Amino acid sequence: MIEIHEGGISSTVQDLGRSGNYHIGMPPSGAMDSYAHTVANYLVGNEADAATIEMTYQGITATVREDAVIAVTGADMSPSVNGDPIGMWETVAVEAGDELAISFATDGARAYLAVAGGIDVPNVMGSQSTYTLVGIGGHEGRGLEDGDRLAIGNGDGVSSAGGETASPEELVGTELAEEYVPDYAEEDSVRIVLGLTDYRLTDDAKETLCDTEWKVSPEADRTGYRLEGPDIEFKEREQPFGAGPNPSNVVDLGYPVGSIQVPQKPIVLMQDAVTGGGYATVGTVISVDRGLLAQRQTHKTVAFDAVDVEAAISAREQQTERLEAIEAEIAGER
Amino acid sequence: MATEQITPVDLPDPRYEYGADDFVFVELAEAMSFTANFKAMAITQQVAERDIEGVIENCPGNASYMLRIDPEVIHPDGLIERLKSIESEIDISEYEWETRVIDVPVLFEDPWTHETLMEFRDRHQDPDGTDLEYSAELNGFDSVDAFLEAFVGAPHMVTMVGFVPGLPWCFQMVPRSEQLEVPKYVEPRTDTPSRAVGFGGAFSVIYPVQGAGGYQLYGRTPVEVLDVDQELPDFEESIVFPNPGDILNYRAIDREEYDAIREEVETGTYEYTYERVEFSPDEFFDAPHEYNDRLVEVIE
Amino acid sequence: MSETTTINSPMPGVFYRRPDPDEERFVEVGDQVEEGERIGLVEVMKNFHDIEAPEAGTVVEFLVENEGEIEADQAIARLE
Repeated sequence: MIEIHEGGISSTVQDLGRSGNYHIGMPPSGAMDSYAHTVANYLVGNEADAATIEMTYQGITATVREDAVIAVTGADMSPSVNGDPIGMWETVAVEAGDELAISFATDGARAYLAVAGGIDVPNVMGSQSTYTLVGIGGHEGRGLEDGDRLAIGNGDGVSSAGGETASPEELVGTELAEEYVPDYAEEDSVRIVLGLTDYRLTDDAKETLCDTEWKVSPEADRTGYRLEGPDIEFKEREQPFGAGPNPSNVVDLGYPVGSIQVPQKPIVLMQDAVTGGGYATVGTVISVDRGLLAQRQTHKTVAFDAVDVEAAISAREQQTERLEAIEAEIAGER
Repeated sequence: MATEQITPVDLPDPRYEYGADDFVFVELAEAMSFTANFKAMAITQQVAERDIEGVIENCPGNASYMLRIDPEVIHPDGLIERLKSIESEIDISEYEWETRVIDVPVLFEDPWTHETLMEFRDRHQDPDGTDLEYSAELNGFDSVDAFLEAFVGAPHMVTMVGFVPGLPWCFQMVPRSEQLEVPKYVEPRTDTPSRAVGFGGAFSVIYPVQGAGGYQLYGRTPVEVLDVDQELPDFEESIVFPNPGDILNYRAIDREEYDAIREEVETGTYEYTYERVEFSPDEFFDAPHEYNDRLVEVIE
Repeated sequence: MSETTTINSPMPGVFYRRPDPDEERFVEVGDQVEEGERIGLVEVMKNFHDIEAPEAGTVVEFLVENEGEIEADQAIARLE
């Protein structure tokens, strides 16, 4: 069991998300940076979708009440055990009574704490992910607070990638190879596929969208990344019936996760976003780069790089291969 | 008026769009019409029936639909080919489906939405009136009562569910000439009471939970559209009650009835009044008012 | 002789010197503050985080204006 002392600004239990309910208005939730979440799980011998704790800007402090094997990945939050620093992207053994302190993010915005066996919270509609708007999943459907006690799973989700199921203790000391550790300080551009209802934009507006260094607003969170920069201009039109008179209005439609809606300035919809609405959507962040955007801190800049769908698919395939390689390498450490 | 028909709309060619690598969005029309919506429902029903491998989410929209896929299982272009072939096979005039006619009691001009709409007057087109006064005038009615009579005078079909869990977008089942239309707030409100009944564009909505919103506010229903704990009998199978294709019949109630229903909801005993019916777009288009009367009769 | 301490923001966001637009500032330049005393707030994701003095001292200057943007680890104020 893990006993929380400080929950940080926004720490929630997340797995890879909930699917099959988008049509009733339920977004997937799940880890904002699925790469960091998955690697954290692999480092402790879990399956990719075991539940971890996602911490935003500020980590948790907690007492570990049983011996456990943990890993912290994602944004560097200077984790420590009993005051001694431990490495990020590394498998660490902790003992009952140890004090775990995860501090503030230096580079990146979100860190993931995985525990061998997974965080044991109830499965709600096919996922353990927290969706705070309606209060489901995770720990009581909300962010973690002082006094919360989280059970550690008994290992149902432990990976068997190494053939024989080894005990997570054998993974202790594993460090993720340098080549797999992302550098969140490098503000790489975020790839998008233009489309959806981008016919509403003028050609100039499409250029503005892709040429601007957008600034992440302080409100940017799990629901959406509101970006600050120039206004986006729409083409003039005769209002279609049911759309509403504002040039940014369309007849309410479904919003993909990662889609960029444009009330005037762009908002990129994230894992807890609304599933539909009446604003024009003009493109979608490719699935692999949604995690990259999720690590961009408030006030940092983001530029969009328009790619075609083939590039988006091949980036996804590369990411899958990369994660498979990581899983195999970690298993080989045993 | 009784002889008025709904003329099916000639839809443009669908616009097939990629939502990056893992979504396909298909816009059937820019403008709302029953033709576009029935087509979206028919195609997404076909997608569900064919159980296409790699399809993760299947979401009918008002005049569009959207699918989420695993592109490592099915390429978006492969899916689009299949969608085009489904599209070409579908004739909505021959399509029928089972749906529900549901009684939705509403306390119009209730104290809670009134307080909210007065609080956000500075974000509204008409800072001096109420949302209902504004809507009535804009649609050529000489009083709020006459406007509300039109609003409850014909049922509203759920044409999409989303935004947040359980929010139904509903399109009133009348010919275009009788459709009501209002803009959304100039700037969205940061607050809306739960169970508020609103209207924006050509859609009525019921807000499941308290939160932001931009639709004109008319009233509040005592019944729930979302029950996360699944305590109410109608929510045994799903946390959400309305489904696309459902037919909501708004019924004006007084405060006494509102309070009585609310008590039943809070004690977990309330059950919706509804009946299952077979819906025929063709018969509906042919004589909408008569068809609606027959639909609504089953729950009266 | 007096030593100068810088108070840095642990996180990015918007800096506030008062709890509410209608209320007094937490502290003014020249004020004596205790260790752990709140000198401001940082807002991010609609959450407010207290900025506290790490030790007792006199506020010498603020390096960020009220409602100014700050980055993680940016200096907010100096204590003496």
